Amino acid sequence: MGLFDSIYFGFQVTFQPINILFCGVGVLVGTLVGVLPGIGPAGAMALLLPATFKFSPTSTLILLAGIYYGVQYGGSTTSILVNIPGEASSVITCIDGYQMARQGRAGPALGIAAWGSFIAGTIANIGLMLVSLPLAHAALRFGPPEYFALMCMGLVIVTYLAQGSILKAIMMALLGLILGSIGLDLITGLPRFTFGINELSDGVGIIPLVMGLFGISEIFENLEKSLDREIFKTRIKNLMPSLKDWGEAKWAIVRGSLIGFVLGILPGGGAVVATFVTYAIEKKISKHPERFGHGAIEGVAAPESANNAAAGGSLIPLLSLGIPPNPIMAIFFSALLIHGIQPGPLLIKQSPELFWGLVASLYLGNTLLLVLNLPLIGMWVKVLKIPYKILFPLILLFCLIGAYSINNVVFDLYVMILFGFVGWIMRKFGYEGAPLILAYVLGPLLENALRQSLLISRGSFLIFVSRPISAVALVFALLVLLSNVFPYFKKQRAKYEEFKE
Amino acid sequence: MKTLDQTSSLFWLLVSISVLVESTRLGIGTLHDPGMGFLTFGASGIMGILSLIVFFQATLKKDHVKAEPFFAGPLWKRVIFVLILLVIWSRVMPELGYLISTFLLMGFLYWVLERKKIWLVLLASVLTTLFTYLVFSKWLNCQFPEGLFGF
Repeated sequence: MGLFDSIYFGFQVTFQPINILFCGVGVLVGTLVGVLPGIGPAGAMALLLPATFKFSPTSTLILLAGIYYGVQYGGSTTSILVNIPGEASSVITCIDGYQMARQGRAGPALGIAAWGSFIAGTIANIGLMLVSLPLAHAALRFGPPEYFALMCMGLVIVTYLAQGSILKAIMMALLGLILGSIGLDLITGLPRFTFGINELSDGVGIIPLVMGLFGISEIFENLEKSLDREIFKTRIKNLMPSLKDWGEAKWAIVRGSLIGFVLGILPGGGAVVATFVTYAIEKKISKHPERFGHGAIEGVAAPESANNAAAGGSLIPLLSLGIPPNPIMAIFFSALLIHGIQPGPLLIKQSPELFWGLVASLYLGNTLLLVLNLPLIGMWVKVLKIPYKILFPLILLFCLIGAYSINNVVFDLYVMILFGFVGWIMRKFGYEGAPLILAYVLGPLLENALRQSLLISRGSFLIFVSRPISAVALVFALLVLLSNVFPYFKKQRAKYEEFKE
Repeated sequence: MKTLDQTSSLFWLLVSISVLVESTRLGIGTLHDPGMGFLTFGASGIMGILSLIVFFQATLKKDHVKAEPFFAGPLWKRVIFVLILLVIWSRVMPELGYLISTFLLMGFLYWVLERKKIWLVLLASVLTTLFTYLVFSKWLNCQFPEGLFGF
């Protein structure tokens, strides 16, 4: 099939009623999750995953993708109107978005965020189609050493980009590897770290783990503090940005889209990093950098474009190489495995309906976000006003039901509650959950690749440096790790931390 | 932060030692033929070293800022209360059934933050329980335990 035939085929898949419904539900749930505090995209995806078991993997992926980029959009609403980011990828939008709202320009801010997201999403879709196929083709020549090196690189970048201490982030990644090894050994089939508990034979479930670390722990954290939010009272008008606004924001959208897309592809990258990088670049190249922080429309357009483009870009390593580049993609990865689909270079060839259906659904979802959400902005503002004392029991109950309904066993509930408590304590001690989740998912793949590589090389670690791709990936990972030792990079990282702060 | 780092690093050191011992028991194997405990042995070894580094970094750090108490403010008790509620719900749900146990759980959860209007708490609990039962059990076919009373 040629490219256009494939896209046509993808739209045929997407326009099946069930897939349209899933796409619509996905973007609406995603926007809702982005608007509400207390549950992030990872928790929401984990929550809805058990409900998709009866449906096809394509419908499931369409739903999850809808949630992912819906969240990127929804997060901007709270950033602009409340000055509290709904999601980490909308943190930077607060700076200029809220200032625009204070100046009575909430409408154009929300409008440019929506249009920027739409344009960036479309650019990322085109990139996804163009890059995935050749990359998957090239990846057919990858062996265990290349996969091992690429996964190591992804893990190192995730730990490097973690907030706070790198050492703590690496420790969490190592803990993730250990947790991922619980269950039956891949080669011998014997139980490992199960301590005689039958339920652990299949390992620790990803859904209870993610819901605990990201959902329950966040609720616990919120319960400890007062969450009275004050919405900036302004009439939201002129959602369509003016020509002047477009003139100021157009190149920011283009740059944000391209940078976001590239950073999304990189293992360990993702929407959050993309927003920080694009904002910094826009400020640096602007003729009037002093406007940034005081309601510059480029300060909204660039990061909002970047986070949506990164969301599209991050699908590439997952669908082409079978390597999830960030924790959200790790949930996509698990969803595919649950549905009996092995992500990797053969996925596009073996399951074309899944790949092209997903690609086409991204176009549909982007359009739905724009068409539905701009007119519905009033409804999202009302959602923002729902008190947390009503929301938190509901979110908790949804998490409990989600964890229980995977296997209908109480053990999964205990796992979720345990990791909820652990996650809450980890937050207090300054440890992050993201490297843990990514390492947990990559752990079995990494171990398999390592053991296979050593079997091939008869125990020689030189196999990792004698093959060009693995050598480059490992050297890059090593440089990233060592960079923190050198004063220049240390200073740059300190600046990055300060900027994030 | 100093004390928190010291405490947490010692905890992770203990975890890494336990995993290291268990990995050795499982069998590390050789480089030619890596065993079941190979990866976890390496991971826990590095984790142990890193936790020691974090411990010494924290110990040597001149931290004059008075550390905030771990359980600061009165609200942490709320978290512990909710945590206990969740464990109890998980324990009794198979016996009591979804409807009764969830009604009780919701009642307590709403009561945690809104103690004045009991009738509102009860109404919200009933509505939430019935709504989630309808959506998850009837529409999405999730199988909830019926419990002692058959509902």
